[in-house]
Amino acid sequence: MLNEEALATHRQELRRGTIVLACLLLLSRPNYGYALLDALEKSGFDVDANTLYPLLRRLEKQGLLTSEWNTEDSRPRKFYVTSKEGAALADTLKRDWYDLDSAFLSLKDDS
Amino acid sequence: MTATSSPTDRYVAATLRSLPGRQRQDIEAELRALIADAIDDRREAGVDADSAERQVLTELGAPARLAASYSERSLHLIGPEFYLDYVRVLMLLLSTLVPLWFVIFGLVTFADGSTAGVAFGGALYSALETAMSIAFFTTLVFAVIERVSAVRTKRTATWDPSSLPEVRDKRDRFSVLIGGVIFLAVIVISLVLIQTVGAVEGPGGARVGPVDSGLWESGVFYIALLIAIASIPFHLLAYYTGWSTANAIANTVFVALFAVPAVWLAASGRLLSDDYFRAVGWPEGADVIAVVVIVFVLLITASDAVGGWVRASKKRRTR
Repeated sequence: MLNEEALATHRQELRRGTIVLACLLLLSRPNYGYALLDALEKSGFDVDANTLYPLLRRLEKQGLLTSEWNTEDSRPRKFYVTSKEGAALADTLKRDWYDLDSAFLSLKDDS
Repeated sequence: MTATSSPTDRYVAATLRSLPGRQRQDIEAELRALIADAIDDRREAGVDADSAERQVLTELGAPARLAASYSERSLHLIGPEFYLDYVRVLMLLLSTLVPLWFVIFGLVTFADGSTAGVAFGGALYSALETAMSIAFFTTLVFAVIERVSAVRTKRTATWDPSSLPEVRDKRDRFSVLIGGVIFLAVIVISLVLIQTVGAVEGPGGARVGPVDSGLWESGVFYIALLIAIASIPFHLLAYYTGWSTANAIANTVFVALFAVPAVWLAASGRLLSDDYFRAVGWPEGADVIAVVVIVFVLLITASDAVGGWVRASKKRRTR
């Protein structure tokens, strides 16, 4: 039997890239870090705060997200929104995801 | 730590400490808002203020790890890309240079008039020092390579299957290299032993060894030893980069640098001490041994020089 640690590693490996895609899709509407974390969890994406926050900055640095400080609310928050490049990447990644999905389905048909 | 600094303040300060200055302000403002949002959320769910803060900070994890994630800095000294090379180079250097240094240091100290015990202890201490320096500098070089992104991309970009070494050839060369090191050590040890311990009483009452005493004291043997030791890293380099025509030419020059003076010394009768051979009752011994030395030096050096050319041409053919 596979031990728990190995199982967790395999699942983590499989999910690794999906958080980027989920962020790019969710941030087509501007949102801030904590609310995004909440939205991801509610949609069924399991991600840690200490992974998500640095990831948002990396995506911003790559030009896939843009950010703006919103000072209208009770406390100033940094809002992120998907850029044009980010949206294009999201389209590519989404297509890859569906391709993989049909590839897995065809594996199932053959066996 | 003052009474006013909250866990959040301390957490943020600890995270920012290792971040580059230009990012700090922005990350601090965002991090504080994120932590405050998370705490508010928990308090709304009925958790008291202190536990809410502790829970949120615990979930964010160690500040150093979070900071490394923000700055995209590696948390290792030498990563998987270079680790195997690092171990290989370190092992090779330690396993060849440390024993060699031990033997040479011990012999030189002993020949210099120290007792065997003192020479042994000194050599042991010096060998340990050498091992530590080798380990430190090898690690330092690899840690720097790990952090210089230009080297990393160059390395990953230039690799292709044609740079793979010949399997049989490689093993041969490696054993030849190690064999050469051991051979050199044996030669040096026996030479020093014969000259010092094996010395006999000469005509003037002074002790003479088989090697001409003027030559022995002139330090010419240190130069010869230096050339021989210098050839180790030279062969090591060629071993890693592969033999080229340039290597073969350099190797030939290197070998000639050693062979020409050695043969000249032996042929002109300056190498050996006539007094020694007369004292041991073998007057013609000096001439016989001189011929043996000449043949020996020529055989060894010629085979080394030719070997370099053979490897270089083999390398060309496989390309």
